Amino acid sequence: MTTATPPLTLAEASRFLAHAGLFVSETDILYVIKNGKEAWINQQALLTSSTSRVNWLYSQGYSNDTNKNSTAGIDNVIWHHLIAEKNQFVQRITLFWSEFFVVSVLGLPLPWAQFLGASYLDTLEKYALGNFRDLLKAVTLSPAMGEYLNLAGSLKAAGNRHPDENYAREVMQLFTIGLEKLDIDGTSYGTPTYGQKDITGLAAAFTGWNFDGDKNSFKYATLPMKMTEGNHQSSTPNPFLGTTISAGTTGTQSLEIILDTLFKHPNVGPFVSKRLILRLVSSNPSPAYISRVATVFNNNGRGVRGDMLAVIKAVLLDPEANSFTGTYSSTTGRIREPMLRLVQWAKTFNVTTSSNLWGIGNTSSSSYGLGQSPLRAPTVFNYYDPSYVPPKTQPKYRAVASPEMQITDEVSVVGYINYMQAVISNGVSDLKPDYSVQIDLAKKDAKAQAKDANQLVSNLNLLLTSNQLSSSSITSISSAINAMSSKDDAAILNRVKAAIFLVMASPDYIVIR
Amino acid sequence: MSLTKGRREFLKRLAQYSALGSASQIALPFSAIAEAASTNASDYKAIVCVYLYGGNDYANTVVPYDSSSYSLYNSLRPTIALDRNSLSSTVLAPKTALNNGLQFALSPNLAPLASLFANNQMNVLLNIGTLVQPTTKAQYQNGSVKLPPRLFSHNDQQKYSQSFLDPDLTGWGGRLEDLLMANNSSSTFSAISVAGNASFLNGNSTHQFQVGTNGSVAVNALNGSPFGSTAIATALKSIITTPQGQVLRDQVISTVNRSIISHDKLAPSLTGSSPFPASFFPTGNSLAAQLQVVARIINAKQSLGMKRQVFFVSLGGFDNHDHLVTNHPALMKLVGDAVGGFQSAMSSIGMAHNVCTFTSSDFGRTLTSNGDGADHGWGSHHFVLGGPITQSKFIGTPPVLANNGPSDVGQGRLIPTTSWDQLAYSLGSWFGASTSDLKLILPNAQNFANISL
Repeated sequence: MTTATPPLTLAEASRFLAHAGLFVSETDILYVIKNGKEAWINQQALLTSSTSRVNWLYSQGYSNDTNKNSTAGIDNVIWHHLIAEKNQFVQRITLFWSEFFVVSVLGLPLPWAQFLGASYLDTLEKYALGNFRDLLKAVTLSPAMGEYLNLAGSLKAAGNRHPDENYAREVMQLFTIGLEKLDIDGTSYGTPTYGQKDITGLAAAFTGWNFDGDKNSFKYATLPMKMTEGNHQSSTPNPFLGTTISAGTTGTQSLEIILDTLFKHPNVGPFVSKRLILRLVSSNPSPAYISRVATVFNNNGRGVRGDMLAVIKAVLLDPEANSFTGTYSSTTGRIREPMLRLVQWAKTFNVTTSSNLWGIGNTSSSSYGLGQSPLRAPTVFNYYDPSYVPPKTQPKYRAVASPEMQITDEVSVVGYINYMQAVISNGVSDLKPDYSVQIDLAKKDAKAQAKDANQLVSNLNLLLTSNQLSSSSITSISSAINAMSSKDDAAILNRVKAAIFLVMASPDYIVIR
Repeated sequence: MSLTKGRREFLKRLAQYSALGSASQIALPFSAIAEAASTNASDYKAIVCVYLYGGNDYANTVVPYDSSSYSLYNSLRPTIALDRNSLSSTVLAPKTALNNGLQFALSPNLAPLASLFANNQMNVLLNIGTLVQPTTKAQYQNGSVKLPPRLFSHNDQQKYSQSFLDPDLTGWGGRLEDLLMANNSSSTFSAISVAGNASFLNGNSTHQFQVGTNGSVAVNALNGSPFGSTAIATALKSIITTPQGQVLRDQVISTVNRSIISHDKLAPSLTGSSPFPASFFPTGNSLAAQLQVVARIINAKQSLGMKRQVFFVSLGGFDNHDHLVTNHPALMKLVGDAVGGFQSAMSSIGMAHNVCTFTSSDFGRTLTSNGDGADHGWGSHHFVLGGPITQSKFIGTPPVLANNGPSDVGQGRLIPTTSWDQLAYSLGSWFGASTSDLKLILPNAQNFANISL
């Protein structure tokens, strides 16, 4: 006997899309209701970008020598891909990886930095849904990471010179195993995973890599690094994490041993799984949820470890990610990242740019921008600490983590509201929204719906917040819109803008539960 | 200053919870602040933490200068050592010379700080860092003493150096304000950051307040008629400030509320406070821009009703595994100009001895080089300026310059000989906290001897 699964509600479909993608459209809601969540992921996973970021920069002329010593073009191409490309699921996961394997434009003081950043994101996109070990290797050898964490140019020990330790340290702390041994459900008992001796051994095993090609042309920024065996420390055995790479092993062989050792460490599953859940779904996942996802990391059911598409499905399709019943626990959810809020606005309202420049620029200012900008984290530790618990919340909420609260402060909360008011009103640079087609699931007349404040708020509620506006917020917004004129098209457009502004300024939107 | 029995009990509990680092750590209710108020300070004092994110390279900041020390330094990091000739104008001459003819010079780009040292307004803290208790190399190697958690890791050492607790539920600047902010007419501006969220400023009742480099920011749409409608302004106010009983939403809502209420107080005070001459705060220097707003807030202390404040500013980019020879001097220039200018600004308003500024960082770096940079270390040299300082001196013990010598655990990663707890104790005492209270908020301080600034 089979139990029929009840069809998803509009709100459930919308909430799934808000986890899995960059925006919620009527088309996608109907697709998910008709075909299911996994089918949506499957068809999205096959979509490819219309162009690579490197090619986009090249076609826009950013390879001209005038741009050699600047970052010109990097923000443009990043926003272009996030907003204009149609593979929103792949773009969402690529953005996740850029916050996991963090590289920041702020730390690329080399010629053609925009190509380093663009090529890096192209690499993350290429491997985003593939196997974690392939992704880890591609990241390790990418010239952007080579520069950012200094693997490029790292030399064997000589005299008082020691091998650069930066990548060796951070690849363990931040990209694979973390500082402390973890159970499969992410529980730590405080036992360190490694010590300085492991870093010393790993740093030596990592020596010899450098850029491929000179820096006069942007091409070096798009090619994996290459090994110069003469710079590799093969004269000593290089021990780390209980493995010893024997003396005489080449640098190229050493890399494979390193990657295998890191990839097979039991911490990787729970470590990566928790980060994915935090970024895509919830700031306070249960250990059981982490464990279910990490189990899929360890084995996708067909004996493959590190199958990221399977892992990401496990994150998004888990019952805990989908317990949308209308009655939430008081701690469910997460704060939407400010950069994701802007992207959602732009995609929901079909933003276009007549110049094709996508000139949103750097939105890092917390006083005048979003307090966050893609590929511009202040350090390799990303924009916030994944374990961050806000201080001085009410005592009973002491254990409630909220990483994004670390950049949600008295300045940035206001900076965001002001920024969105301007953007919703006037667009940004020459990017202009199209509010003319209002959300119209019933295929009624859009203008009539925009005149009807209740219908307008209802439509925005579904698309922007997955029907998570509180009843008092709905009342406040509807009453305020009703108090505005609807005498002509300009007045109706103004009502639409005001409603979008109030919804996107609301804590009901800022936090997705 | 006397303690009521109830208050002492309360603080004792506070410290116990703090030392445990327990997730069940109590929050000091607002009603208890009045109880904690037993000082009535007539003067103004502020502590300013200048945090150098990434781990500052001590060896090219405070450079061994006497000829035998310099040649050791140069031989240990030949490709990244500063040229000795470039150091001659920033040699430090303390009131009492160091033993054995040891001399240090500052990075040439710290010339403003060298002048402040010469004018008895600055001390140099030698080999200071995170410690739980005094630690020798043998004790480090055989694991016989408790060490700070997760040494050499950026984020962990940032938190521990500001907090002395693991996890970093509160920081020592915030805990100091817990004791003394009752001197202020309102608690809001007791702990101010211009550099984002910092462990240093969190107290049990002290809540850090963020400002931008132009002060607080107004919600534009609350004033006038956004989208041509006052109804929108009214609705916005209600939506963004009414608590909902959902934790994450209410965290956002309470932040918005604090921002709106505080802006209404801070903005008029800053407007009324005359700006400082531009020469104190050079443009194109983000640290100077942050310190400028700190100076303006200090200058508005009377209209804000402030007697005891702690501030946090920062500069990033110190994780110089590569490009140290290019990057580090540029960073030193920013620090020297910004901190030097700030101290001059404080002198210009008669606050040189009321405001104490110190630098801190994740950790020091290796003395040996990896070719074009240095790697994560532990102890480091830092500066403390103004406040109680009346005499130029070095505080602490000069480390032995070596690769795996008696002072370091390899590559010149120094084992600190002075703990940040000792600086905190000394500044807390200057701030007006009692010895018994300081022991409560600085749980490891009793493991160390006092230092005198």
